[in-house]
Amino acid sequence: MSNAPASTESALTPEVKAMIGVSAEKVEASFEWGIEREGLRIFTQAIMDPDPRYWDEAFAKSTKFGAIITPPIYCTYIGRRQRPGADDPVTRAFKENPNSDGIGGVRTGEGKGSLPLVPTPLKRILNAGNEIELRQYPKIGDRIFSQAKYADIKERVQKDGSRMLVVTTETLYTNQNGELLCILRASQIRR
Amino acid sequence: MTTAQELRDKKQTYWDDVAVGHQFPPLVIGPMTPTHLFRWSAAIENWHRIHYDQSFAIYHEGLPNILGQGSWKQSILPRYLKDLCLPDGWPWKVTFQHRAMIVPGDTITVWATVTKKYEEEGLGFLDLDVGMRLQYDAESCPGRATIVLPIRGGKPIPYPFVPPKKLVS
Repeated sequence: MSNAPASTESALTPEVKAMIGVSAEKVEASFEWGIEREGLRIFTQAIMDPDPRYWDEAFAKSTKFGAIITPPIYCTYIGRRQRPGADDPVTRAFKENPNSDGIGGVRTGEGKGSLPLVPTPLKRILNAGNEIELRQYPKIGDRIFSQAKYADIKERVQKDGSRMLVVTTETLYTNQNGELLCILRASQIRR
Repeated sequence: MTTAQELRDKKQTYWDDVAVGHQFPPLVIGPMTPTHLFRWSAAIENWHRIHYDQSFAIYHEGLPNILGQGSWKQSILPRYLKDLCLPDGWPWKVTFQHRAMIVPGDTITVWATVTKKYEEEGLGFLDLDVGMRLQYDAESCPGRATIVLPIRGGKPIPYPFVPPKKLVS
């Protein structure tokens, strides 16, 4: 079922347009203990990358990076983790909606550093594409900070005449020294 | 798949030795299984059910199966570019779209072809077409990338990487 408005109604309302350029506050994406080896192990195994630069300290020190590093965009994922002791968003989402898709009600957009929600009835989310620019690999112990903004929102008309939105966010990731690590531009389809 | 030893021993590819049209060695991953998809969801705490709950994916969302995550693909392409650049090059940027869905059973060939070669501020840049091709030749993740490889006898690639001003939009 599509949540899309009828074809005569634009999904790109003035309220939606007003979100373009809106920034979230800069927040620490990592926990206060920074990047740690166990999280790095789990992540690198999930991308099937056995690179010794991620786990062999002696070898890593001999490389141009001088220390154990993380995969190129590891820092963009650490902010997704659930903080210990926090209310369980999964349980809450399914209490509120037994048919939750596991993402819409889980990530409410109300968290610290999150962008305000785009005011649209289009709730289904698909990943439409990404742009990643790398400047430096994070290292073990680094604390990661992020700041997101809505870079662009466009409307597209689907074959059945219903409308969808393509929402592009740009997030800057920096370390504890304020050094830029990477820039992620992510586009999501909302339909 | 690439082994740890191959990455440890990786010999540098130099900018001088690569021409437009050059195809870098591909990275083949798969066949993918539901367990691979679930492992990624757990690793990044992405609880979207279309990636691990087959009944939900098929009967609620109308999908052919559970789907490989866009975020996983987004991690694989930079990982591949990193491997190409090791030990001293830099995988500066990559942009891509999500096209053909990845489902369990698929085998993925990550590839890159040089489309442009140029020098800026003494650094050797290569523009690439990149992608993640499935076993039936559908393209799952077409995109473009720019990497920096050392020039023989040239200056070291700065780390952290600072792109030449002329190339920053």
